[in-house]
Amino acid sequence: MSDIHIHVEHLTRVEGHGNIVLNARNGTIEQVQWQVSEAPRFFESFVRGRPWHQLSHITSRICGICSIGHALASLKATEAAFGVAVSEQTAVLRRLALHAENLQSHILHVGYLVAPDLLGVGSVFPLLQSHPDAVRKIVRLHRLANEMSDLLCGRTTHPITLVPGGFSAIPSAKQLKEIRQRLLDAVPVTNDIAQLVLDCAGALPAFARETEFIALVDDDEYALYDGMIGSTDGGRFPVADYASVANEFVVPHSTAKFTRHRRASYMVGALARFNLSAARLRPMARQWAEKFGLRPVCHNPFMNNVAQLVEFVHSLEDSVYWIDYLLKRGLDTAEAPAKFKARAGRGVGAVEVPRGILFHDYTYDHDGTCERANCVIPTNQNHNNINQDLAAFAPTLLQKPEKEIERSLEMLVRAYDPCISCSTHLLTVRFVR
Amino acid sequence: MPPERAGGRQPETPQGMGGVPLTRAVGSPRPDSPEGWLAMKILTRTDFHAFVNALIRDSGMEVEGVKAKGLKYAFGPLETAEDLRLDYDVTILPPKKYFLPQYETMMTFDLANPFAARQPDFPARRVLIGVHPYDIAALRQMDSYFLDTEMSAAYLKRRKNTLIVGSDVLSVPERAFFGCMGTGTVPSGFDLFLTDLGEKVAIEIGSEEGARLLRFAAGLREATPVDVQKVKALRASAASKAMRGLKVRPQGWHDLLEKNFDSPVWSEQSARCLGCGTCTLVCPTCFCYDVQDDINLDLRTGERRRTWDGCLLRQFTEVGSGEVFREDITDRYRHRFHRKGRYLPDRLGFVACVGCGRCGMQCIADAADPVLLINRLFDVSPHLVEESVMDPQTVRTDLREIASPEEVRPLHLPSPATVVRVETLTDRERLFEIALDNGRPLGHAPGQFVEVSLFGTGEAPISVASHPGGPTFELVVRRVGDVTTRMHALKAGDKVGIRGPFGRGFDVHALKGRNLLFIGGGLGLAPMRSLINHVLACRDDFGEVSILYGCREPREVLFRDEVAAWAKRPDLQHKKTVDRCPNDVPWDGEVGVITTLIPRIRFDPRGTVAIIVGPPIMYRFVIRDLLKLGMPERNIIVSLERRMKCGVGTCGHCQIHGICVCKEGPVFNYADIKDLPEAFA
Amino acid sequence: MKPRIAFFDFASCEGCQLQVANLEETLLDVLRLVDVVSFREVMKEHADDYDIAVVEGSIARPMDEERIRAIRARAKLLIALGACAHLGGVQRLGNRWTPEQNKKAVYDGADGNDIGDNNPFFEKPRHRALDEVVKVDVVIPGCPVNRDELARVLVALLTGRRPPIPDYPLCVECKKKENVCLFTIGKVCMGPVTRAGCGAACPTYGNECEACRGFISHPHADAQIDVLRKHGLTPEEILSRQTLFTARHLEQQGKVS
Repeated sequence: MSDIHIHVEHLTRVEGHGNIVLNARNGTIEQVQWQVSEAPRFFESFVRGRPWHQLSHITSRICGICSIGHALASLKATEAAFGVAVSEQTAVLRRLALHAENLQSHILHVGYLVAPDLLGVGSVFPLLQSHPDAVRKIVRLHRLANEMSDLLCGRTTHPITLVPGGFSAIPSAKQLKEIRQRLLDAVPVTNDIAQLVLDCAGALPAFARETEFIALVDDDEYALYDGMIGSTDGGRFPVADYASVANEFVVPHSTAKFTRHRRASYMVGALARFNLSAARLRPMARQWAEKFGLRPVCHNPFMNNVAQLVEFVHSLEDSVYWIDYLLKRGLDTAEAPAKFKARAGRGVGAVEVPRGILFHDYTYDHDGTCERANCVIPTNQNHNNINQDLAAFAPTLLQKPEKEIERSLEMLVRAYDPCISCSTHLLTVRFVR
Repeated sequence: MPPERAGGRQPETPQGMGGVPLTRAVGSPRPDSPEGWLAMKILTRTDFHAFVNALIRDSGMEVEGVKAKGLKYAFGPLETAEDLRLDYDVTILPPKKYFLPQYETMMTFDLANPFAARQPDFPARRVLIGVHPYDIAALRQMDSYFLDTEMSAAYLKRRKNTLIVGSDVLSVPERAFFGCMGTGTVPSGFDLFLTDLGEKVAIEIGSEEGARLLRFAAGLREATPVDVQKVKALRASAASKAMRGLKVRPQGWHDLLEKNFDSPVWSEQSARCLGCGTCTLVCPTCFCYDVQDDINLDLRTGERRRTWDGCLLRQFTEVGSGEVFREDITDRYRHRFHRKGRYLPDRLGFVACVGCGRCGMQCIADAADPVLLINRLFDVSPHLVEESVMDPQTVRTDLREIASPEEVRPLHLPSPATVVRVETLTDRERLFEIALDNGRPLGHAPGQFVEVSLFGTGEAPISVASHPGGPTFELVVRRVGDVTTRMHALKAGDKVGIRGPFGRGFDVHALKGRNLLFIGGGLGLAPMRSLINHVLACRDDFGEVSILYGCREPREVLFRDEVAAWAKRPDLQHKKTVDRCPNDVPWDGEVGVITTLIPRIRFDPRGTVAIIVGPPIMYRFVIRDLLKLGMPERNIIVSLERRMKCGVGTCGHCQIHGICVCKEGPVFNYADIKDLPEAFA
Repeated sequence: MKPRIAFFDFASCEGCQLQVANLEETLLDVLRLVDVVSFREVMKEHADDYDIAVVEGSIARPMDEERIRAIRARAKLLIALGACAHLGGVQRLGNRWTPEQNKKAVYDGADGNDIGDNNPFFEKPRHRALDEVVKVDVVIPGCPVNRDELARVLVALLTGRRPPIPDYPLCVECKKKENVCLFTIGKVCMGPVTRAGCGAACPTYGNECEACRGFISHPHADAQIDVLRKHGLTPEEILSRQTLFTARHLEQQGKVS
């Protein structure tokens, strides 16, 4: 067997900069490396000294795609530190905001970043010629998600209305009714896209490696906004104890913080959520999972793409549910954020963002200035798992042509939908056998 | 202690300081109403709600009124009568937004065929409910203003399409002083007028349209003397609360401001001004606007849009070359008050302020409140303030009674024209010979300018550089910004839009028989050339002629051949100079600033008229030297540049104090403007 | 021939590039006007010859400096997209500590492991705006950029006009929208010194403007400070608002280092 040298520099169709390196000699892998070359920005350092009302605005800038999720995790951490309870209306509106983000992120990933792989092209641009109708539908769904974010948060990227204690502006009942109708109108379009993905799902490799899955869980709903930390290996942990689960540690020759719970690594994200909460999916979402043959517990990371599609459908349905709830209960558009006083304290907030469970942990001093912060990003938690997967997957590919190996490795990393700028840390791992 | 008044009678009651009584006796004869009487009707509150709901449901008109907006109020569409808040103090924005919208599409065009530009449709009929008297007074001021300038069909149509249902002030705005401004009540300008008396609503009929509107109301009864009394009391109370201790009544503002133009109060008060433009944007009597072009993503279709502008913004007086004529915040801050208290009163006869208090309330820095400013000026200059005889309420104009939109020519639509010839004069300047497509001559006077319109990019004011007569005219264009850059890419056969000619040019008739001294600097030669060539074409009609021309460097000289020809003519004196000449460049003229040429020619300063056009810096020195030689001020004629946009005196950008350069200039007699500090800054 | 356009990102959240995708159907119109030859986030293909480079993100390390210089050399026109490229972004706040201090704060408990000493990706990070390293032709400000403004700038560039980015304060847009001014309801806002063009997005939704678009070219800074003081802010609170996005302006004025 010949030597193989693969160096994918600045992997495309992922958020952020990362490299894949594979060196094999005579059928033996010498080096499989997932390098993240993103410049560090050190959020956890420079939020020190900032006043509490700027924290969520700063930390939303960790990521452009899941900025709503970061903002919410940040707000929950601040609220936990100051002992603030939000109203039921706020909790519902925040769920809707998270759904809007999930819709936006998942359709972007599946439609723009993954579909080209499934259809054998380099980007979404050629699809404009070959599948113009499908592209238009994807664009339409993406726009709907963005408009829902605009309505609830003022903006998709770096939300405006999310503030400690509640919302600075609330949409009217009329506007909620309108978006609700548009969500319903999007169902047939969504089904078309899901069918399209199903039709080419055969291109997803059938690879599996047993690993642990971690996500927020709740008895009553498919948890995104609230819950306890759950694991496919069993157990439930309060969010405040996240450190004992995430177990961030530094390894030699790595500048990324790894996480490890009971096994060498664990996975977070849509697949993890599905594996833990499939029973609480809404009906249409469950039907689509069935059509794809997706059942818990699934250990094929490529099926994370499918899980995202299933979650897209779920978010559509669940949004309609919660809007109906608000309209029936009565919406108070003048409800001001809960009043509170800033004080010394520490709080942890966790939400599920599209790519997995996110923790923000803040310590404030007596006048509400941030003294310390720690953020555990989903993609950080996945880095270790990605490496383990690469190490297990690469050997199975060695017989194939180099171009195909390269493509398969790329697809693996992409399946995680990594958000590399989010993860703000760097990683170099060498596996030498 | 009330200020001394020169003339003017002392008021007897605390109603106010004006000669106009603040409460008009309801039922007494009104000068404007056709019947001479205003009938007052009464509706119960319930019936009033039903009336408003009927309007919303059945009238077929857009029904807009005052609604709550967070903790404040704003005019907006009414969905039910419950939305209407007649108890409001003041709206964030005045009703001017309905007649001069924040953003207004003036025309849409397709670059493939731009002159088929479409003017947008106008709004359907609508009714505004809850307009306070001071805002009605402001609308009439606005009418006066737009009547004075070239009438805008869009504005006129909006006014005619909108019914005004006024209402009395129940809750006096915190910073309002309409009690002093005579705008607490208005004699007319409304179709109906409401007074909310709690369980009842009183309605006065102000026009036939208003009377017809009442067909949607059921349960109307005549007002009793008790009702009338309640209305009177309410009005007196509101007016008396809206005084705020203003120390100088509007009749005295003109004198107060004029005497205090150089007062340190201006820089003292403007130190905290943020230059944010809020005061002018929320003001019901501010009408300045900007015009911008936008192209759509198809790179073909686009629109020309009008949007609110304000003199407090730094860019308001910025021209293409980057020069800003009111750079200092003190100048801008002072200008606003002078425009309202001096320049517009000079022009139109009323103080352009209705005492609504919006600027005072919304100015973040609390620098805009006229009461504070006027009182401060008075405090530092408590000498006698002379009052003019002007009555703040002289505005009788109601545009709805005047003209029809169809009679008004489309103000901002350019005429199609074709580039006949392009000549490169320097590396920055080109000459364009242009012919109007309708075959007619431009019909300009020397010194006038046109607005050159390039759809999708915008408009630029360019002086006409050729003398009148002939089927074509010439423009010299210096490439400084977007429009001029695009012009420079034009070739013969390309189309442009032309509006104009605008402005006051040189008074050729008055110059006949006089001795003339032309002093041109740089690009200033272009407009001057229109007069020079006219003079040279009729040489015998004029006396001695001298032409002095200066540029920065030889390569900037315009019209080289013509300039060379002047040197050869025996019937005129000519000298040219450059500020500096690089070593290897041939130059057969003088070197030195243009003032060095003046002693080099023979002329009689007392018997010669000087015509000066050049960069702003040049005027001060040239004029100083001419005056030193004994030239009378009245013999000096200048042409000044400012930011010209509309060309017809409406948009406000080109003002030098109260003078509109585009209408009263760009050619001025120095004697008329010599005391204007802004003219030769 | 359509102009060739390439997108790049440095230290950023990629939110500004996302706004390109967020153009939705308008993006399809934009694609008819330009040829996108490189856009790592959405396509595999890449070409090194382009007319217009659109760059998001701040410049942190020597390797980033090298990369931006190479991009500048290849492009006829360089557009800085967003607050990171324009001003250095929020991450500029980290510049007040040394890279070692930052690393220690983030990798607390890393216990002597060579964090970054052997890792070239960690070399001397210190965040700067693009024009602190290369010449920039056009700046589209904002965090994130306003996608309509992005489209307008592209159209202007393609039709030979200067990018229509306002130089007047946010207040103008707020007033035209008839927003309730935050100052009139007991709050504060950086609008009076901040460059308009975002449609006053944050005040429209009840939040104070945080100056993410940078100051206008002639802000009345002292008057703004006075106003904030009158509204009860301490000097620290005022400074925290001035440094969040616009520390760069203060550095240029010599007010902070």
